[in-house]
Amino acid sequence: MEESEIENAVMAYLKRKGFRQTELALQEEQRKTSSSAAKTDPEIAKQIIAYAELDNGPVRYREEYSRLRTWTYNSLDVHKHELLRVLYPVFIHCFMDLVAKGHSQEARSFFQSFREDHEPSHLRDLQKLEGVLSPHHLEEMEFAHCLRQNKVTMKLCKYSYELLLQHLHKTESMVMLGVINERINLQVPPGQPCSNSEEVEVVALTGSSQEAVEQINQKEIHWGVLEDSLEERLEKEILAAEAEKAEAEDKEGHGEESKKKAGEGGKSGGPNKKMKKDKLTGTTGKGVRTEANVVSSAPRVKAELTMPTISMEVERSALEDLRNRARLSSSALPSVSFYTFVNTHYSLNCASISHDGGLVVGGFSDSSLKVWNMSKMGEQHGEVADGQNEHSAGLDVGKRSYTLLQGHAGPVYAANFSPEGEYILSASADNTVRLWSSKLNANLVCYKGHNYAVWDVQFSPVGHYFVSASHDRTARVWSMDRIHPLRIMAGHLSDVDCVQWHANCNYIATGSSDKTVRLWDVQTGECVRMFVGHHGMVLSIAMSPDGRYMASGDENGTIRMWDLSSGRCITPLTGHTSCIWTLAFSCEGSLLASGSADCTVKLWDVNASSRTPRMEEKAASAQRLRLLKALPTKSTPVHALRFSRRNLLFAAGAFTKSP
Amino acid sequence: MGLLPNDTIEVIAQSIGINNLSPDVAQALAPDVEYRMREIMQEAVKCQRHSKRTILTTEDVDSALSLRNVEPIYGFASEDPLKFKKAVGHADLFYVEDKDLEFKDVIEAPLPKTPLETAVVVHWLAIEGVQPAIPENPTSGALVVPSENKKTEHDKDHGLPIDVKLPVKHVLSRELQLYFEKITELIVTQAGSTLFKEALVSLSTDSGLHPLVPYFTQFIADEVTRSLGDYALLFALMRVVRSLLHNSHIHIEPYLHQLMPSVITCLVAKRLGTRFTQNHWELRDFTADLVAFICRRFGHVYHNLQPRVTRTLLHAFLDPKKALTQHYGAIQGLAAMGPSVVRLLILPNLEPYLKLLETEMVLESQKNEIKRHEAWRVYGALLQAAGRCIFERVKLFPGLLSLPVRSTLESSLKVATTLDPDTAKGIVSPGNLSSTLRKRKVGEVFSSQQSSKILSESLADSIGAASEGQANVNLGESALVRATGQNSDENVTGSSRREKGLLNKSERVGSVLAQAWKEDADAGQLLASLVDLFGEGMLMFFASREMSLFL
Repeated sequence: MEESEIENAVMAYLKRKGFRQTELALQEEQRKTSSSAAKTDPEIAKQIIAYAELDNGPVRYREEYSRLRTWTYNSLDVHKHELLRVLYPVFIHCFMDLVAKGHSQEARSFFQSFREDHEPSHLRDLQKLEGVLSPHHLEEMEFAHCLRQNKVTMKLCKYSYELLLQHLHKTESMVMLGVINERINLQVPPGQPCSNSEEVEVVALTGSSQEAVEQINQKEIHWGVLEDSLEERLEKEILAAEAEKAEAEDKEGHGEESKKKAGEGGKSGGPNKKMKKDKLTGTTGKGVRTEANVVSSAPRVKAELTMPTISMEVERSALEDLRNRARLSSSALPSVSFYTFVNTHYSLNCASISHDGGLVVGGFSDSSLKVWNMSKMGEQHGEVADGQNEHSAGLDVGKRSYTLLQGHAGPVYAANFSPEGEYILSASADNTVRLWSSKLNANLVCYKGHNYAVWDVQFSPVGHYFVSASHDRTARVWSMDRIHPLRIMAGHLSDVDCVQWHANCNYIATGSSDKTVRLWDVQTGECVRMFVGHHGMVLSIAMSPDGRYMASGDENGTIRMWDLSSGRCITPLTGHTSCIWTLAFSCEGSLLASGSADCTVKLWDVNASSRTPRMEEKAASAQRLRLLKALPTKSTPVHALRFSRRNLLFAAGAFTKSP
Repeated sequence: MGLLPNDTIEVIAQSIGINNLSPDVAQALAPDVEYRMREIMQEAVKCQRHSKRTILTTEDVDSALSLRNVEPIYGFASEDPLKFKKAVGHADLFYVEDKDLEFKDVIEAPLPKTPLETAVVVHWLAIEGVQPAIPENPTSGALVVPSENKKTEHDKDHGLPIDVKLPVKHVLSRELQLYFEKITELIVTQAGSTLFKEALVSLSTDSGLHPLVPYFTQFIADEVTRSLGDYALLFALMRVVRSLLHNSHIHIEPYLHQLMPSVITCLVAKRLGTRFTQNHWELRDFTADLVAFICRRFGHVYHNLQPRVTRTLLHAFLDPKKALTQHYGAIQGLAAMGPSVVRLLILPNLEPYLKLLETEMVLESQKNEIKRHEAWRVYGALLQAAGRCIFERVKLFPGLLSLPVRSTLESSLKVATTLDPDTAKGIVSPGNLSSTLRKRKVGEVFSSQQSSKILSESLADSIGAASEGQANVNLGESALVRATGQNSDENVTGSSRREKGLLNKSERVGSVLAQAWKEDADAGQLLASLVDLFGEGMLMFFASREMSLFL
């Protein structure tokens, strides 16, 4: 090791950093001890030289990275995927280092030469990063900023870790070593290398560190259904009726007598005897029974919000619907009624269907809302056919078959019916949410609060409360009688694209462009779960009626089923080839319907997919089990899905002529 | 080095009136412009997603600009694709050609048509999970479904219900009703006409017939049960079935269970047609092919389809109480399913069956001319089935027939052809020539009963010898040479020598078997027993193979 070389390196460093005093002092000292023998420790000398070279080139980044890459690709198969995972953060940080140091040309060429490696799993991120060309952009861009701020946590088995370090030291890849030390938090658990199925960690690069996510997901949540719900009441009623009937049968030996009693029981228990019959047969067929009890088996929780009162009339109709509910299972699929919007000229942004399918609302990019009354449409035809009421019909209907609701000043991105269908909420690019009455056909309230376009709005399952999601990265909880939001949920790193209430109204779930889904406590407004795993923007969310599971769909066509209590993804449901616009659980939670831009409605078996995959069960075989049916539409992307209380599935979409 | 070259920046600067932009500025601006562009596009994609579209429009870019508080200046959607022109003086710079429009032209242009009002229409996408075939649902669905059914049936033990539940209101258009009436009328009245042939073509190609399928199946089922005596009608109906099955636009599976009984009836019914002269054999042959086709096409969807059909046919075949016509149908049906079915189901039962059949075939024991004729028919069918089966086997084990044998086979073929004219003379019944020929030839063997007995004995001997492993190739060859000579003589001399030739041939077969024994004991045995049962007629099938080989 040439002593002078080291000296030069040190000098150059001091000069560059502007340490003039030190430089002078050193020169002074050197002059004094110029004769002294070289006693610098060779190890240190090496470090010094390496450090000197470190700055002399963006070239080093490239060289060392490509060396590391080649080494990784040639490493042992067992350790390869682990090491490959390390490669991605190293790559983006190298790139950002280069940008930060102002070598934008080199950064660009570096990026281009290696981006192919990472494209399959990180395409969107790479596209974002691609545009970063100056240190200034790094600061500005949330995503890049986030990456710079947080260390990525990666698990690496002991041996892989040693291999990596050994390689880096042997090849004197000081830059790489620096990047890894600085940016990556390597966890080295003892034992075997982990399987590559744990892709979650890779995706965790997006936002806050893995630890934070885990910490958040430790929080306690009560996922059960509301106590004293209608379902519960009905269940009790039926049980009572059943007991009564059984009693009656016990008492009376004679067939006639028991029949009479049963009739009475039927009258007192509820008007529908058929339901009871179903129930009785259910006891014999185990499968039916268990499915029917899914909801009732969920734990009960108290409502944290003040619940609006339900009028007797509404309650009666709801109970009636519950009694007539069709039992759905993997072998009993629902009927699907499809509402096709024709002549929309690509202007339909959203659609929503009331619980009974009687009303359909469409939100258009020309700022209007249009409401179609399906039941009236039938009447109209009848009247015209009669020829008697022609006049009144003509007066009523005018020219249009729909009711036009105008008021927004920007494209309407979401519309939603209240549970009973008397109100409609709409969200628009004009930063407002508007409340409309479907009876009066008029605007009632305009809720201003969001700072940017509002993407989604959802009524709570009990009505009265609603939540909106916006480009301003927040979700806000409102009540109908206040014009200011009650809660603001902030924390997403990008737009909040979709929002959904939990079945018990105590939580809301938000899906975002930052590829995460978060669960928020409505009462406290804090994030209680974070679901990481999507590879793209989350477009739709659905909550299972028993409150235990959540399904979310992204722009790549993947649906993920999550367990709320653990925060884990139970299984990805793959099959769609394009954006999942909408998801819906059947009323008793046995089926999940998904509507996609690939012009299909797919029905998934929830019971199969929520069963935790066992070790011996192969992923592929389990996968196929879950898709029950794909229903293609005639070039109509599916915008909205909704199960009626009687388990009829309504779907809506705009017919688009294939180009 | 970025997406935007500095030139672009310069050009843009010029377009807004800055003529002397220094290159440094341009260089500094380029990356930033690119970044902003990407930012806008990112927002535009978001807007596109929220408008539930999969194509990006200018509107989305406008919305994205307004999200960023920029005056939306991007432009308007246009019907025509944009035309890019090369900028003069710059290598890689393009711009969109934007023509100036006269206000006058725009104002005076006629108003475009008012776009149609948005409306909502309702239809059933699925009823209890099954898609009804209505115009609102995609037609391709019918073609996709089979594979899907297959998948689900594989995966689930509780399988989907296969019967289609039709919508409550099944509306047929007026055109379809007329079509249906016309077709049914054709079937009943003029089944032989060219118009009917056209109708069959239409049935097998028309894509819009799906709504009629239930009606057709019902019609076919009704007509078959009602008019078993009407041969022409039955044949016409089977042709219709075939056309429907061949129509790729029709999703016929749900109706198969309705169709199959009618088809099977036309195959194994005791009497088809009223008069003996009517060639119901042909109908049975046709239907046999149809059944085989159905099994081939839908066998993978309904795993139990072929087993069920073969079981039915086998029952008909093995029931001695059934009429010979029924036996014939069953044999043809089984034969059409392929050689493996024949090998597994027919061949094991061949020997006892032939014993029964023999009594029916011989003039002494069966006086009824018609019955005898039927028996011969059955015999012919059996021969053909067994022959095809063995032909396939031979194809699999070419060693079974080594080279020296070929010449003999050739000669036997010659025999066959020379036999042709004199047998053809005596044909009483109409029917396809080859099967009659075969029948006659076999008849020849049987007409000289004594010799055939000797034949079988000698064959048994030779097989015995073969099994001992004492096959003498030389001996066999010399025998062959002799036989060829004899055969050529035979051509001249006539039928008296034929029996001798036959005997020799059987010897040769023995030697052939001896050779084959080593290669495939199984096939050899099969062949032996077949030759044992059928005599010389069997050899036809090797002959035909050899022919193809030489051709």
